[in-house]
Amino acid sequence: MVDVTIRIAGANGDGVESSGNMLLKTVARNGLHAYGYRGYQSIIRGGHVWYQVRIGEAKLYSPGNGIDVFVALNQDGIENQKEHFNKNAIIIYDPSKVNVDSIKNQGYTLIGIPLLDTAVKISGDPIMRNVVAIGAILKVIGVNIEAFDEVAKSMFLRKGEAIVSNNVNAARTGYNYEGVETFRPIKGDEKTRFTLDGNTALSMGSYAAGCKLYAGYPMTPASTILQWFAAHEDKGVLAKQTEDELAAINTAIGGSFAGVRSACGTSGGGFSLMVEALGFTAMLEVPLVVFEAQRTGPSTGLPTKTEQADLLFILHASQGEFPRIVVSPRNVEECFYIAAEAFNLADKYQCPVIVMSDLFLSEHIESIDGFDIDSININRGKIAEKNNGERFKRYLYSEDGVSPRAFPGTPGLEHIAASDEHDEYGDLVSDALSGIGKYVEVRKKMHGKRMSKIESMLKNESIFVPKVRDEDSDYFFVCFGSTTDQVIEATEMLKSKGKKFGVISFNYLMPLDKEKTKKMLKGKKLIDVECNFTAQLAQVIMANTGIEIPNRILRYDGEVITSAEIVEKALGMIDKF
Amino acid sequence: MSQVVEKTDSEMKINYGSKTKPIWCPGCGDFGVQASIIKALKDLQIEKSNVVLVSGIGCSSAMPHTFSTYGLHSLHGRILPVATGIKLANNSLTVIGTGGDGDGYGIGSGHFVHACRRNVDITYIVMTNETYGLTTGQAAPTALVGTKTKSTPFGVIEQPINPIALAISAGATYVARGFSGDPVHLSELIKNGIKHKGFALIDTFSPCVTFNHTNTFDWFRRRVYKLEQEGHDSSDISKAFDKSMEDFKSNYEKMPIGLFYKTERPTYEDLDISLKDGPLLNQPLPGKEEIKKAIEENM
Ligand SMILES: Cc1ncc(C[n+]2csc(CCOP(=O)(O)OP(=O)(O)O)c2C)c(N)n1
Ligand code: SF4
Repeated sequence: MVDVTIRIAGANGDGVESSGNMLLKTVARNGLHAYGYRGYQSIIRGGHVWYQVRIGEAKLYSPGNGIDVFVALNQDGIENQKEHFNKNAIIIYDPSKVNVDSIKNQGYTLIGIPLLDTAVKISGDPIMRNVVAIGAILKVIGVNIEAFDEVAKSMFLRKGEAIVSNNVNAARTGYNYEGVETFRPIKGDEKTRFTLDGNTALSMGSYAAGCKLYAGYPMTPASTILQWFAAHEDKGVLAKQTEDELAAINTAIGGSFAGVRSACGTSGGGFSLMVEALGFTAMLEVPLVVFEAQRTGPSTGLPTKTEQADLLFILHASQGEFPRIVVSPRNVEECFYIAAEAFNLADKYQCPVIVMSDLFLSEHIESIDGFDIDSININRGKIAEKNNGERFKRYLYSEDGVSPRAFPGTPGLEHIAASDEHDEYGDLVSDALSGIGKYVEVRKKMHGKRMSKIESMLKNESIFVPKVRDEDSDYFFVCFGSTTDQVIEATEMLKSKGKKFGVISFNYLMPLDKEKTKKMLKGKKLIDVECNFTAQLAQVIMANTGIEIPNRILRYDGEVITSAEIVEKALGMIDKF
Repeated sequence: MSQVVEKTDSEMKINYGSKTKPIWCPGCGDFGVQASIIKALKDLQIEKSNVVLVSGIGCSSAMPHTFSTYGLHSLHGRILPVATGIKLANNSLTVIGTGGDGDGYGIGSGHFVHACRRNVDITYIVMTNETYGLTTGQAAPTALVGTKTKSTPFGVIEQPINPIALAISAGATYVARGFSGDPVHLSELIKNGIKHKGFALIDTFSPCVTFNHTNTFDWFRRRVYKLEQEGHDSSDISKAFDKSMEDFKSNYEKMPIGLFYKTERPTYEDLDISLKDGPLLNQPLPGKEEIKKAIEENM
């Protein structure tokens, strides 16, 4: 497959990210596959930022290894990124800003374009220099410049015709600049693809599933879910920015109790504050979807860097025991379908469903062919609507552990939902009655009823097992969530080196079908790949199946694990089997 | 609150109470509060199925169990966010928060100020007993300086919180204080709080007869007086502030009860555009075409 990795680097405020977005949209709408990821710091101006766009003729699984085409908006860009340049890289730079002495005579194609000067001449706005660069990139990869016009229109028309035509002119100037040639041609198919990031996919999946209330408190990398809902308040969804994460989760619980599909979201720090309410919603048997977008911890950690180190925390957070579903979508497309399904699962089992992502998954952009909206079905689970002549038993003992719930406003089904232990009616067996024989039995039975939902989940759903790719391989990578795609790419690279690697990836992590999981893993040569220090997935596998995976590739520096490093390390491990 | 239809005596058939025996110690102030809420609901004749009582954790938070309405007995300190979620999801419901002063002004104080400024149409009744009843008698944030409790054996050394002043300054639109020892007066305050469109605080002296032997019914009786009888102008925010400081200025010798402050301001539900077509719960879900459109606009 032909693919090109492009990186644009500059300072915060240079518009690096929005130019990356324009490029992604342009190529995705014109038959190519695209993948985008930004590197940035948690400050608003200055600092070193970059945006990476990878463009391919077939589906892409990662932001790419190394840089094929580089755009330097300032000197820092060259100095910070030159170690990543691939052989024969093409470097586009602005001679008035950047000195390329340090990378001369190394086989790179150096193209100086007066980006800033051109931008100012065309529009008076220095930010437009990015667009000049995009024009040049489009020429380098051989994408027709007309493709850009549509994108400029869709992105800027609301800002006025003049902005659109400035963009178009700037891009054309870059495209036609002397010395810019189609060095790295790449050909797409006829399809128009969409580009979006994981958080947008999570938000849209929730919307498609009928989630109408979203509560959150800003925290990178989860904030954009709150912002998505806020931007769609005119479409019948209510976004509530609360005073803290305690309020966010409890507001969502209130909304769900009242009958509206509700969710909240945050990163690890905010999730720590939500913990008590997880058990609370499980005790009330009120459905709830919680998004947890991990970032590098502990504590405030690296707010703009990625990690997968909250897994064990999420699996066990909150006192006591209760059923919960934990799922970690593996790519942007899956974010959409899993978010939608999360609301069904929460309703069916009246328990918390935690959808884990991480900064990389939440923020990176993928091109997709579109979503199959018709495949989204809504299942609200057991809901009582009429009184049967007796006092309503909200917590009726039932075979599958799920009792019909009733929304306030329904006559005849009045009841109290309580965070204290209770009987079938919701009457407390805690303070005055605890310890009395009859009520000891009630506690035992009610706790058993709640816990029996785990059995029901495993019995009714086929999702709680890892997914296998390339079943007849010699070796298997084991991974979860967003690491999966890098791993898949690594297996492709290993194939070309004559090594047969398969992938066993986990998306649904709790509950786990232990027997099936064990069967899948047993007797195989396994390498665990995760973005954390303590190999948390390997610990989960050990606890559930007794299978130990001593071969591990772990990354915990906040950067995205790359297929290249997986390949290199895996090759070094093969001998150990 | 939802539709208020004042009915005649013969129509007042709704029984809001439940058969559950309250957990409270004999003589606890919370009995009077319970009776006052029932009377207020009876006076207003709100459909039982449209009432949701939300409590936290504490003796006073056992309140919903003594009702046959809907209720949610939540976590310690989280009454207001839960109540807010319920109201935002279905603003045709009458949502009433009931809890302790530890719950509301201690662990839940962060939510309290924001609920005031948000002005969601919730009625919030706080049973102030200056102690932590359920955990057997530690200092509450309302305890007066010098009060000896299990957790302050040498006496409280922090200033007590002033919920009335706090609520007014934070933007609450109905701020009142009642006394469990005067349930008729209290139930009027509650009734008007429910009728009020916006966030209504009814701070209520509700003595703990078991763990607080200082702030007893008699102690309060000697100190409280009614603002109405003094001709207090509850529409004047400066006068309301002035009155809210009277406890402190009189060294807790004179403690006004009644309506301190009331004003009209659009509620959060009035202003949030997502609710312009009625309660979220009743709004139809987006159709497949609508979803497709929203998605394509995003990509
Ligand atoms: C997070 C949390 N912290 C502490 C407690 C223990 N606790 C239960 S009730 C309570 C205080 C009760 O005081 P108040 O809210 O004033 O109610 P009262 O019992 O006096 O009516 C405390 C600290 C708890 N349940 N949850
Ligand atoms: S301990 Fe105090 S607050 Fe609790 S029920 Fe008894 S008297 Fe009431």
